[in-house]
Formats: sequence, C-alpha cells, structure tokens
Amino acid sequence: MATEEAAIENTEQKAPWEPKITAFVCNWCTYAGADLAGTSRMEYRPNVRIIKLPCTGRIDPLFIIKAFERGSDAVLVSGCHPGDCHYTTGNYHARRRWIAFNSLMKFVGIDLRRLQFSWVSASEAIKWVDLINNLTTEVKDLGPFVDYKKL
Amino acid sequence: MSESYLKKENLTKLIEAFTGGGGVFIAPTVEDRQIFYRPVSTGEEITFDYIVPKNSHKEILFPQTEVVANYRIGKDAVDVEGVEIDPPETVFFGIRPCDAASVASLRSVFTWDFIDTYYTKREEKTLFIGVACTIADDSCFCTTVGVTPDGSEGSDLLLKETEGGNYIVEVVTERGGEFVKRFDDIFTGPAPGGAVDGMKPIVDVPVLEGVNREKIHDFLKNTDHYENNALWGEMARKCMGCGACTFGCPTCHCFDIIDEGTAFGGERRKNWDACQFDFFTTHAGGGHNPRDTQYKRWRNRFMCKFNYYPNKFTSKGCVGCGRCIRVCPVRLDITEVMEDISQQ
Amino acid sequence: MEKALQDKARELLEAGDVKVVIGYGWNKRKTQTTPVFITDPADVERLVFNPLCVNNLSLYLTRQYKDIQALGKPAIVAKGCDIRTIAVLIAEGQVARDGIVIIGAVCNGVVYRQELWKGELTPEIMPTKCHNCDVRNPHIADHIVGDPVDFQPPDDPSGMVYDKIGALDGQEDGDRWSFWMEHFERCVKCYACSKICPLCYCERCIVEKNMPQWIETSAHARGNLAWNLTRAMHLAGRCTFCGECERACPVDIPLNLVNQKLALTIDDAFEYKSGYDENEHPPLIVYSPDDEENFIK
Repeated sequence: MATEEAAIENTEQKAPWEPKITAFVCNWCTYAGADLAGTSRMEYRPNVRIIKLPCTGRIDPLFIIKAFERGSDAVLVSGCHPGDCHYTTGNYHARRRWIAFNSLMKFVGIDLRRLQFSWVSASEAIKWVDLINNLTTEVKDLGPFVDYKKL
Repeated sequence: MSESYLKKENLTKLIEAFTGGGGVFIAPTVEDRQIFYRPVSTGEEITFDYIVPKNSHKEILFPQTEVVANYRIGKDAVDVEGVEIDPPETVFFGIRPCDAASVASLRSVFTWDFIDTYYTKREEKTLFIGVACTIADDSCFCTTVGVTPDGSEGSDLLLKETEGGNYIVEVVTERGGEFVKRFDDIFTGPAPGGAVDGMKPIVDVPVLEGVNREKIHDFLKNTDHYENNALWGEMARKCMGCGACTFGCPTCHCFDIIDEGTAFGGERRKNWDACQFDFFTTHAGGGHNPRDTQYKRWRNRFMCKFNYYPNKFTSKGCVGCGRCIRVCPVRLDITEVMEDISQQ
Repeated sequence: MEKALQDKARELLEAGDVKVVIGYGWNKRKTQTTPVFITDPADVERLVFNPLCVNNLSLYLTRQYKDIQALGKPAIVAKGCDIRTIAVLIAEGQVARDGIVIIGAVCNGVVYRQELWKGELTPEIMPTKCHNCDVRNPHIADHIVGDPVDFQPPDDPSGMVYDKIGALDGQEDGDRWSFWMEHFERCVKCYACSKICPLCYCERCIVEKNMPQWIETSAHARGNLAWNLTRAMHLAGRCTFCGECERACPVDIPLNLVNQKLALTIDDAFEYKSGYDENEHPPLIVYSPDDEENFIK
C-alpha cells in the first residue's frame, strides 16, 4: 500500500534496515516472562512486537499468515511448557497444529528460520531475552522478507 | 470487405513489430499442459491446436481483480483517490467466433446505465483477430444459439486457415483495415501469379435437435415456471456451486467491490463474483437469502442467460462456447437443461 | 455388476426405508458420467458403474444440501475412496452411520479425468490414488456389489503425486517458492476446490467472513497463497486423497501435492491415515503428551 511503502522508504533513508518481528505469546507464561525481563531492566533488541493471547491454543495458522502478509520479516510463537498450560491442554493442541503448519510452510518454500516456536515460562526472562536477541540477529542477516512483500 | 493473406511464419515478425511499439500481443499458448490466452513475444509460443482456450478475452477486458481506488485514513478525514487506467494497445489473436460474439455482450452491460471506463478503455485499445473454427468437440453448441463457426461478429479481422497452414484474412471493421494497412508488409495479397492454397473446411457444428429456443423463451417468460421447484430441483440438484462455469464464461459479468487494507489505508478493488456462490444474494442487515439452495442459484444462471439478458439487450447471453460444460466437475450440461425445457 | 447395483437399488427403494439413491449415471450423449438422484424404483436402470465414475458422491451427504436431505434417507453408491470420506464425515458428526445406506462398489480404478477415456483403463490415465489404493474392496458398507478383487498396493506410497512431492522436498526453498507462486498466481478464487470437497462443509467458510476479512478474496498472489495455505491446514489430518479438488480446479493447480504432503506429515508424526475407522478421532483435535517437538526451542 502507498502509505506503508512511503514509510519504509523514509526509514530506510534515515537508518539501516531493522527487521520487524511479530511474536504471538501466551498470557500466562511467555508474556509474564517478557514482563519479568522488563521489570528486571534487562535490555534486549526492540524489534519484536508482542501480541498477547490467552493461550497458544488460540493461535490460528491464519494469524501467522496475516503477520507475514502485513509485513513481518519473522514470526515467533511462544507459550507454556508442555504440562504447564494454564488451560491444561491448550499448548498440546497448539503443538500438533504447529507440526502440520511447519511442514506446510516448508513445503511451500518459506524459510523456516523466519518462523520459530518456543516454550518460555514465566520465570525464564533470560531465555526470552536470548531468544529475541538471537532471532533478531538471524533475521537481520537473512534480510527483509522480500518474497512475501512482493506479493 | 477486402481480403489479405497472412503466413504463419510471419507471425513472429508481426508480434515483434507490434510489441516493439509498446503493444501487448495475446494469443493461445500452452501453459502447464493446458491452453490459455497469454501475452506472447514470438510466433513459436502460439499454439494453433485448440477449440477454445481455458480462459477467454474476459480476463483481458475485465480482469479478475483490479484496483479502482486507493484510500488513506487520516486523523480527520479519509482521502480517496480514484485510479485511472491507461491500458496498452492490445492485439487479441486467435479469438473464436463464439467468443468474439460475446464481446458485444460484455459491452452491453458495461455501457448500459453507467459507462464503466475500466472496461471501455480496455476495449477501445484492443483489436480482435478472430480465427474461424476447423475443429470442434461435443461441448460446442454455437449454432444452437445463433452463432456460426465462421462468424465475423465481434472480430476486427477474421482469419480462415488454408490447407498450407496459413491464413486468408478477411477485414471486418475499419479498425481491422487500418491494422492491415499498418503492417502491409506482413499482410500480403495472394501469392503473385497463383491462387492461394485452398481453404480448410469450416467445421460443421450441428444444431442440437432437442433444443427449441422459442419454447425455452416462452417457458421462461411464464413466471409460474419460476416457482416450479420440482423441475429445477431435478435438473440442477447435482450442482455444487463452485463458480467454475461463471468464471470461464465469456458473457458472465457480475462483480463485487471490496476494500482491502489496514487501519491506515488500502485499496478498493473490483473482483469477479458469481451468482453460484452461497452468499451472492444474502441481504445486508438481516441475512435473508432468497436463493438459499444451490438449484435456485443455478436456475438464476439459466434464467439470466436465456431470459433476463435477452430481454434487456440485443447481444447474446450465451454464445455456445461450451466452457461451462467442459469445466463442470459434475458435468451439469446446460444443453441438457435446454433440451429438457424444450420438452416441457 | 451394474445389474447387481441396479437390483440392489430397486430393492432398497421398493422396501421404502431408503428414499433416494445417489449414484452415477450417463449424461445424455453417453460420453461422461454424472451424479444422479434416483427416487423412483422404475428409474434404477440409469445407474451405472465404470471407470468413468470419478465423482466423490459423499459430497451430497453434507449439511449444505438441504434439498437432498429433504428427499429422505439416502443410499449412496460409493467406491472405497469415497467410503473413506464418509468415514471421516461420520467421525466428525456430520452424517449418522444409521442415517445412510452405503452401497459399496468394488472398484478397479478410475480415470484421472473423464476426457482421457479412450475405451480402456490403462495405468497412465489412472490417478495416483488408484495405484496406492488399499480399499478396492469397500471397507465399510451395508451392501457390496461386485466381485472382490485382489490388489496389493506398494508398501511405500508411489506414483506421480508422491514422486513430485519427493522432488519438491529435495529442492531449495527458493525453487519451491517459485514453483508454488507460479501455480498460485493462476488461481482465480472460484472456490471450486472447496465446493467439491466433501470435507469443506462449513456453511460459512472463513473466506466468506468479511468483518474482518481474514483471507482476501481478490485473485492476487498474496490472497491466493493465504487461501490455499488455510484450506490445506483446515484439511490437515482429514483429507482422504479423493483428488476431486485437483480435478475441479479450472486452472489446473496441483492441489494434490499440498494436501498429500500434509497427509504424509500427519502419518509420519501421528501414525494416522484418515478414513479407515469411523470411530477414530481426527488427529488435530486430540493430542499426545509425547508429540515430537524437535523444532521448538
């Protein structure tokens, strides 16, 4: 769209390209973990935009597709460890879905380094920080998701 | 009506001369084992062995999706900017007489009560080079609806194949004549000193005996029959509402206007729609759907082509190209329905 | 065998319990088969069964065909592959097992497309599903017509679809992306794939939802990719490889590749093949604490 392209151009003139990462996280574990990182004043890369959901079981593969459509260079999906889900079984269902979705994305030719899944608990602030930092560096090296943006 | 001659081997020269000036040359070509009309850049890409390609000129004159406006949502106002198109000069090569007759059908609808410039600008820039039919299959039924395999209606130039694999060119419109003059080194006269190689016979498409167009017309005019659900239910029960017939049909013209965008702005698009889709007649605010089962939607397709459309326009609602029959996954054959109604 | 089928249909209709027999019949010119709905015992001679019977008739058992349901209890002529679809419909609660009568037809294979028929059923014109079929003798049926056949499918799935999937798997991401974009660009969003699929029975498909519009309806590559990916995901663990979607597509997108790739993944991960047991839950609505997660950080 015209406004977005103009916005992209503007930022490119001022600063080097930074990846846009969308993270779909569950409220009870990963979001709390990210919160903990914040309250502990841990610094980490600012490229991630967090979308909070009650549970990873709520995540429809369409969300991930839409995130790529709207300009994300990478998507991270993160939730409670198996067995720790606040709703008991939500993350188990999500895991099954991701097994199928991962295989489908790979088959269609999407680089799976742009789509990552993780379990981060409410106390794992350090894991969260490392995850974001590593993902950002990896995606920065990969470059913008031109293939999808061109569509 | 003058005649010229076009050798197949000169097609590449013609294409290069035309596209060199910025034009687009569209012709039937093989794509993934099927035949589609696509832009070509050499004569070798053109295939001549086809009845009708899978798509029709409709895709060029009336694209499946196009942007008609852009909008930006600001703090206090919404900025809407209409899109003006400037289509390139286009040659549509290889259109069959049935498809050519349907160009008028699209034109009727798009110039009826509102001049749709997205259509008219494209049609104005398009030259149709028709090729008369030397082959047909059992899904063709042009003659049953008043079109002939060598009809010139809708074409600017009509090409008839010769035994030697070249074309005798019949100039049908002034535009066609100008085109021939423009490339008069490629469109030559008959070979000097000798007759042109003999013409390939035009294929015979027998009129379907079981179809009586007058009876159909009278039947459909009688609104009692519209409510005769048992008859329509029986004939169209197997239809599953896929829309493949509508999308392939060169006269079907319904479209939907939708907005695609984000909270900050987006595009307003004009997309193909089909009366076969479930929600085509769903009313806003209430959700009532007068055509709530599939056979009712199929009944509408038949009525539209053979009743509503002919009542409004002189152009044809159906030209007998047969795409709907070939593409239908459950083989719902419009000619069978025509025969059934003729026997009522 | 056709005579046995017609006799059985007549018997069922005359007995009164079954009100309509959904089967295959000839079109007027006797060149292709088409679905027929026989309600009168006198009409049963219209029923045929031959290698041209490609349609998956279980489509007409699904919820949106209210006028067919209004006819009464149906008997359906079904090949093994169609019965697999019926099994999934029963497992998902769309069809009651005792609400239908299944006339299983022993099948030796059908043609990939009816236009390819030249009088003889040769391996080249048969779709991949037939070469790998293990239900030529119907596995769930109330009545069976036709003599049992002895056909052993290969141990590992083989044939054009699986070869192509293997070839694609071996390619680089970029090549696969180009392959799929070339195909998805042709999509015209006619939704024939969804309409002919018996398992796409949602009365309001996600693509028809417009507040918000999750999947764009325009036929540009972005919207087409979203549609095809979503449909594949919604069929994950359910698709029985009847191949109708690919046959119905008016622009010949190789949908079998995508749906079968997912079926292979599901089989690999959860040891499940859909459509063999009507009491089994589809894999994506259940879970196991031991599912693999080597891709999760």
